Amino acid sequence: MSLADRSLALSTGSRNRQRSNFELYAWLFMRVSGVVLVFLVLGHLFIMNILDGGVQRINFAFVAGRWASPFWQVWDLAMLWLAMLHGTNGLRTIINDYAERNQTRFWLKMLLYVSSAFIILLGTLVIFTFDPTIG
Amino acid sequence: MQTHRFDVVIVGAGGAGMRAALESTKRARTAVLTKLYPTRSHTGAAQGGMCAALANVEEDNWEWHTFDTVKGGDYLVDQDAAEIMCKEAIDAVIDLEKMGLPFNRTPEGRIDQRRFGGHTRNHGEAAVRRSCYAADRTGHMILQTLYQNCVKEGVEFYNEFYVLDLILVERDGRKETAGVVAYELATGAIHVFHAKAVIFATGGYGKVWKTTSNAHTLTGDGMAIAYRRGLPLEDMEFYQFHPTGLAGLGVLLTEGARGEGGILRNASGERFMERVAPTIKDLAPRDMVARAMVAEVREGRGAGPDKDYVYLDLTHLPKEQIEAKLPDITEFARTYLGVDPVTELVPVFPTAHYAMGGIPTNVETEVLSDNDTVVPGLYAAGEVACVSVHGANRLGTNSLLDINVFGRRAGIAAADFANSHDFAPLPEDPAAYTISLVEGLRSGAGGERVAAIRRDLQQTMDLNAQVYRTEATLKEAFTDIQELRRRYRHIAVQDKGARYNTDLLEAIELGFLLDLAEVTVVGALERKESRGGHAREDYPGRDDVNYMRHTMAYRIPGAGDESGVRIDYKPVTITRYQPMERKY
Amino acid sequence: MTATLEPTEAPARIEPRDVTFKIRRFIPETDDDPHWEEYVVSAYPTDRVLDALMKIKGEQDGTLTFRRSCGHGICGSDAMRINGRNRLACKTLIKDLGTGEITVEAIKGLPLEKDLVVDMEPFFAAYRAVKPFLITDGHEPTKERLQSAEERAVFDDTTKCILCAACTTSCPVFWTDEQYFGPAAIVAAHRFIFDSRDAGAEARLEILNEKEGVWRCRTTFNCTDACPRGIEVTKAIQQVKRALIFRRV
Repeated sequence: MSLADRSLALSTGSRNRQRSNFELYAWLFMRVSGVVLVFLVLGHLFIMNILDGGVQRINFAFVAGRWASPFWQVWDLAMLWLAMLHGTNGLRTIINDYAERNQTRFWLKMLLYVSSAFIILLGTLVIFTFDPTIG
Repeated sequence: MQTHRFDVVIVGAGGAGMRAALESTKRARTAVLTKLYPTRSHTGAAQGGMCAALANVEEDNWEWHTFDTVKGGDYLVDQDAAEIMCKEAIDAVIDLEKMGLPFNRTPEGRIDQRRFGGHTRNHGEAAVRRSCYAADRTGHMILQTLYQNCVKEGVEFYNEFYVLDLILVERDGRKETAGVVAYELATGAIHVFHAKAVIFATGGYGKVWKTTSNAHTLTGDGMAIAYRRGLPLEDMEFYQFHPTGLAGLGVLLTEGARGEGGILRNASGERFMERVAPTIKDLAPRDMVARAMVAEVREGRGAGPDKDYVYLDLTHLPKEQIEAKLPDITEFARTYLGVDPVTELVPVFPTAHYAMGGIPTNVETEVLSDNDTVVPGLYAAGEVACVSVHGANRLGTNSLLDINVFGRRAGIAAADFANSHDFAPLPEDPAAYTISLVEGLRSGAGGERVAAIRRDLQQTMDLNAQVYRTEATLKEAFTDIQELRRRYRHIAVQDKGARYNTDLLEAIELGFLLDLAEVTVVGALERKESRGGHAREDYPGRDDVNYMRHTMAYRIPGAGDESGVRIDYKPVTITRYQPMERKY
Repeated sequence: MTATLEPTEAPARIEPRDVTFKIRRFIPETDDDPHWEEYVVSAYPTDRVLDALMKIKGEQDGTLTFRRSCGHGICGSDAMRINGRNRLACKTLIKDLGTGEITVEAIKGLPLEKDLVVDMEPFFAAYRAVKPFLITDGHEPTKERLQSAEERAVFDDTTKCILCAACTTSCPVFWTDEQYFGPAAIVAAHRFIFDSRDAGAEARLEILNEKEGVWRCRTTFNCTDACPRGIEVTKAIQQVKRALIFRRV
């Protein structure tokens, strides 16, 4: 390849073009989910650890009581999904930043996605199939 | 050795080279060879603006601009060329704006204009606002804009290719252009570029002096290569010293600072330009201001511990104006001298700035091998060329104009030539001279260092061939140069490698500088008068009877330092303006 | 107006002192890996680092290789890592680097070619990829295009870029991800996206919306710190992100 060809190839762009708004939405999601999580998580911590005698009162019955209400189910579900997706996307970014080889990058991300999916599915399952009678 | 074939090869990627490339690439297969990356070129250091009689802010016309150019050049200007430049200036500015150049704007949204040295309304009545500008980084904007458009047009660049020789062949007793030979910095390989037309746009040779606004890379390569190939150099004794270089450093502070209202003062605070140019004062042409400054220092009115500089005073200007219109020079003063122009006086002294002379061309930018014979296929534009639109002294902003007007003309002319002519055959061994030059230096075993010879050259030139010259100082400089050329024969390059061998290239550049210093000094010795940028204390007056003519310097062939300079003359083209006394 | 003149007594003379430079050398023909070498050079406090490097090259070791041109911070040739920070050697004075030894190495993230010289081609390739030129539509006016001073001011900051690569090679994302456009290319795009005369913003935003575009920016502000022209690089990148969000969401 002559020098001129080389610079021509570079100028026309040999980089992988990915025409989608995925990165844009991912970036926006981080901001929005971050703000929502502040309320959800602080609210959660406040209710669980401070209100009405705090952490001492938490037991099976307490949890069962809360999840009897669709409001708390939605709260906890939203918290689970947003936190997991926020964290997963953050880790994806960190892997992109720090893993230098494409191979490493790929496998680390696979590990990340599989474990995230597992936790999200498990958590969702628990919230919706929770049986207050087993206690 | 690799051989490439192009219709047009442009040497140099500053303003003139890239402006030419934009025209030539559209018309013919073009390569641009540059020893730097294009955006490193010294066009980017130009600050103040580019004059054109747009009349956006006050009445103006290109004929007044032509007159100012001719008078500013102390009547050594070829008036037909100046007329073309000033007429085409208007389109040149508009072209740049259309290419995207971010000019400063008037309240109506048009290109703003400001005052500049030597530019006047109605043949000298008062200073006129003619300079189109982008803060104090007009050159930067021009360079970036031209490069951006080269990217757009897909101009083919060969970056860090040092052109070291021009291939001229004799056909029917006439010199013809066959291409250039280049050294690739990255690999050390020699490349032959076989071309129908070659444009030299390699810039100036300010590094002959110690105190200079020029880049380290401005070593006059194009001029020296042409000179070594037997082409003449025109008016080399006319070298411009810009009045306001940062004292001791030479870093340029734009004349636009005075255009915005800045004032030069001596140690006692006197506005000494009032004495020298009562009408336009600090906005007199650069040669007059530089001489006045040196005179102040010589007569003991200089400032500082050694009384060796004067002051540029901007303190009376509003802070906002300084920071909006002159941000870069403000930063230079703060960075390099620790002086804040908003509240303090800035130490300044003349700095070697611009070569009015160079490779002689006609208005079509065709290079001349004597007073009127064109070298077919060879073109030159910008500081390397002498059209001559600047005569004995260039007006501020006219260099940016020169590169745009004549760069464009060169691109068109070279492409047209290439489209109507065949390749001149390459000689048997086109790279022989270059290889022997490179290998000779690489294998040199003497004890002389490049840096030492360069320092000595710059010292003698600063001391003996600067703003003021006399027979005695010039002879001193000449003797020194001869001695330095002898020492140059025993030069040793320490870096023997092939890749990025800048040590080797500095040695070659030094050879060019020595040649050009000699031509400059010999031309100055032979011109026994004072005119524009050439001020002889032993001949203080202008002598139109004997010296109303261009100097043409030819190399007397000889091996190494055995060569000499032969001086000849060429008449000045006068159309409308008869020489008059130059008063402002 | 003489009131502003400084007192005439001479300031104390400043003497040169010996300064130790530790330079990361690499000669491709003979070295397998870069190594540090020390040089002691006599320099004035007001000397530029570039002056010292030239002195070392001229007087001590001609093989020391670096790029330089204008010598006063407007050509962008001599960006290097000086005492661990990206700066221009010609805009950094010895006195501003403390009294200890001064380390100099090539900028990071671009292929090292020799000593302080790197291959700039990937950097310029990213620049070229963002369409860094005015794109217009409609009829060309016979005279200049009109633009108000306010419209001109919007993109003034990013017109100052000299393509020295100090920002791009200070960016941790660029160090590991050679596909990332890097701050300088985004600055170049910004200069045109926000130019009122330009009609190519959509195409440029499309390019910068790619996987390796502005969304890779981690706002570490290294680029803003490194810029020798004082461009608010991170801010420019954020403005491009904002333009994308507001146009697409």
